Amino acid sequence: MIPSDHFVRFYNEVFKFLDARNALEPYYKEISRHQELHCLELFRREGLAGLRKYYEKIRIEENCGMELESLPDRIILRMTCCPSLSKVLDSDAAPCPKYCDHCGGWGIPLYIKCGIYYVGNMISRTEPRCEIVYTESREVARQVYRDILDAGYSPDLIQSDLDDWEEIEKNRVERA
Amino acid sequence: MLRYQENNELHRDFHGTTDTTLNYIAEHFGEEALKEILRKTGRDVYKSIREKLARGDASELVEHLNWFFFREQGKYRLTVDGDTITFEVMECPAIRHLRKLGLEPSPYVCLQTSEVNAGMCESTPWESEVEVLGDGRCVQTFRRKAVGK
Repeated sequence: MIPSDHFVRFYNEVFKFLDARNALEPYYKEISRHQELHCLELFRREGLAGLRKYYEKIRIEENCGMELESLPDRIILRMTCCPSLSKVLDSDAAPCPKYCDHCGGWGIPLYIKCGIYYVGNMISRTEPRCEIVYTESREVARQVYRDILDAGYSPDLIQSDLDDWEEIEKNRVERA
Repeated sequence: MLRYQENNELHRDFHGTTDTTLNYIAEHFGEEALKEILRKTGRDVYKSIREKLARGDASELVEHLNWFFFREQGKYRLTVDGDTITFEVMECPAIRHLRKLGLEPSPYVCLQTSEVNAGMCESTPWESEVEVLGDGRCVQTFRRKAVGK
């Protein structure tokens, strides 16, 4: 058994294997389908409130340094100490350079299905911190994206589902 | 002493993600590819255990087995008898959690154990064996190879 404590170090080995074959994206989609078990119904039923409930649980179970700020039109998740990247950096195996990409990788397909916009700023792929904004407003998401760029971050560090806005809008309306 | 000191909350749902990953890799890249990843995990992630085994010191391996199964409330018996370590698992915490989630354990769920254990022993005087008894039960054995083997 790989202890649940050590899963992310195994995950890192999987990423390195798949990245060498340019095959990360389909794997993220599979993980996303698996995560529907935990999130889909909750997010569809409760929207951003459900998302907050899920990450409150994750904050405890995964021992995150995490701030969750709820505003009327968005939730801001500030990861001040990401336990996942922290463990991968504290490993005798080399980290996958794209390790942080998995977060949006599995999350985005799920958020699209739930009618939620996601704009994540990795800040740095070698530091265990990031900032993610979840919103049901396309305008808010676009502004957040622009603000990150204006702050000088490379587009390579930003993940978002803005390109899928038509699908998000459709799913948000259906959910409501 | 353990290389990875984990003593806070647990996120057991990671067993579900592991299970999904085992199936995905085997189905898309084959069982040999899955073995390669698992063995590399054993060899590289648990480098500290492997290097101690190479020096004839099994203390971290024993502590690792005991601590992480204790943390996950597995039912097990760990016996050290000379150069043989026997780890009898009466209830695997990973399989128990998969069933709690309503997931069918992957056909490769026990391969993760046998290959990770083999990776820990790679290039050391130790060898490992896993006898799967079914339904979350197994006997994992680590044995120092006879001289000349």
